[in-house]
Amino acid sequence: MTYQLAVHRRTPRLGRRLTLTGLALPALLLMVVVNAYPLVFAAIQSVHSGSLITPGPFVGLRNFADVLGDPGFWKAAGFTLIFTASAVFGSWALGFALAILLKPQFPGRGAFKVLLLLPWIVPIVVTAMSWNWLLAGRESLLPSLARALGMGNVMFLGNPTLAMITVCVFKVWISYPFMMMMCAAALESVEASIYEASAIDGASKWQQFFHIVLPVTARSTYISWILMAVFSINDFPTIYLLTRGGPLEATSSLIVLAYKTTFLDFLPGNGIAIAFFMTAVMIALSVVLLRQIRKASLQ
Amino acid sequence: MSESGSLHRPSATPHPWARTTIAAIITLVLLSPILVVFWLALRAPVAWQQAGPTLGTFWYVLTETKVLHWLGNSLLVSLISTVCSVLVAAPAGYVLSRGRGGATSAFSLFIFVLQSLPAVAFVIPLFIMFANLGLADTLTGVSIVYVASSIAVGCWMMTAYFDTLPVTLEEAAWIDGASLFGGFVRIILPNSLPGILSTALFAFLHSWNDYLVASVFLRSESAFTMPIGLQTFFQQNLADWGPVMACAVIMLAPPVIVFAVLNRYFSIGGIGGSLAGR
Repeated sequence: MTYQLAVHRRTPRLGRRLTLTGLALPALLLMVVVNAYPLVFAAIQSVHSGSLITPGPFVGLRNFADVLGDPGFWKAAGFTLIFTASAVFGSWALGFALAILLKPQFPGRGAFKVLLLLPWIVPIVVTAMSWNWLLAGRESLLPSLARALGMGNVMFLGNPTLAMITVCVFKVWISYPFMMMMCAAALESVEASIYEASAIDGASKWQQFFHIVLPVTARSTYISWILMAVFSINDFPTIYLLTRGGPLEATSSLIVLAYKTTFLDFLPGNGIAIAFFMTAVMIALSVVLLRQIRKASLQ
Repeated sequence: MSESGSLHRPSATPHPWARTTIAAIITLVLLSPILVVFWLALRAPVAWQQAGPTLGTFWYVLTETKVLHWLGNSLLVSLISTVCSVLVAAPAGYVLSRGRGGATSAFSLFIFVLQSLPAVAFVIPLFIMFANLGLADTLTGVSIVYVASSIAVGCWMMTAYFDTLPVTLEEAAWIDGASLFGGFVRIILPNSLPGILSTALFAFLHSWNDYLVASVFLRSESAFTMPIGLQTFFQQNLADWGPVMACAVIMLAPPVIVFAVLNRYFSIGGIGGSLAGR
């Protein structure tokens, strides 16, 4: 979409820039007040001890040193990595498969396309409760099933390793509809004639998938991975509502740890220090990734 | 999800009903945790000592709990933040779609970076700041946060839609003497209803489903929105699944109904394009 300035004589360059600035201003102001300004405040609080409302004395970088010296921080960082990786690739694999399943015309296709989005539409507060009912109690559905199959007492949310897997599966279940929509949009951009031409040339379904579908949708896939990674690293309710970060902090990601440190241990300095580490990493990561996205789009 | 044009019409499969069967089985498995909610909601409260399914549980929670009050709060917050989100995101999306050069690039980067930051980092300072302004335990306070936090995706969705409108549309208006702003308000906006509805739907879901901000900001029961009310109710009635799930059904109904009505306008798949090439 090239912009032709010549046509637009009535508003001179400066006026055009002013109008565009004016249109962006409400969004800009709101984001500065609600997001950017509190970050400065957080930066100040991260170098003080004290409670939530009244900051204590200046302690320099001690909060950061405390946090970095805490094995719990590194454990949480490790789980954040596992959680994010499984969210990105799990939801992408499921979402992509469903998008492909729903691509051709068949009876009921429209209804399935909407129904399959429900895990993303229904509030997490509700779905976390129903997963809890399915998994957590001794008499719950899946533990009973496991007993009937002779697997003994399987504690889906009680055993640390199993709880980690369960939280990741829950996250994939919540997130696949987003990936399904992203993949469906990307698949739509592949012209039907390409399939027909390659079929005439004797390409099999798998060859079409690996040599046409994957390369053509690669850029969109890459962008959706990045978005999902950002959403997952910052995802608090999915984990907190299902496990509260337990058992034994096994499912505490960094953001859950930051929340618990601040609001349950009443150490806002340390909590904000954790959040600040995440912030620094996310800023660096997002600047690099957005540049990557732009570069990929120029090819 | 808009229907694709005739050129891209999905081709028919050799065995359409086989595909329907597979899709039905997968859908049933994937939606089972949601079906369970409806099934459990039919259980009578434990105190009634009644075994069979009943709709009386709904009557019970509507009259004996504050669920209607929470529902009202949630509707108020979500509707106001939805309208404000669109009012803020649409012009910003227009700037991303039509603007060129360094300033637009910087604006795009600014949005992406802020979107990437963990909410926990600014939710505490924001709480203190809002407490000083008397906004902490209020619905106005959370609404402001919801509008701000839905701008990024809302803006990308609007950009993706504006990108599908040809620039010649505004150019015709400019030749007739309209200003840039006039062209946006009188020509672009009226032609962007699907994009606006799509963004509105996202903003509605975003504010309706939020848990973190509401849990930090809303302290008094009169200000509870649905997620906080339901979560509190759940913790007070851990084994009483009937009433808890009846409340859950009441909570999931509005977003599901709104989505069922507007889903043909909903399109989030284009946001990748708004991020790229700017």
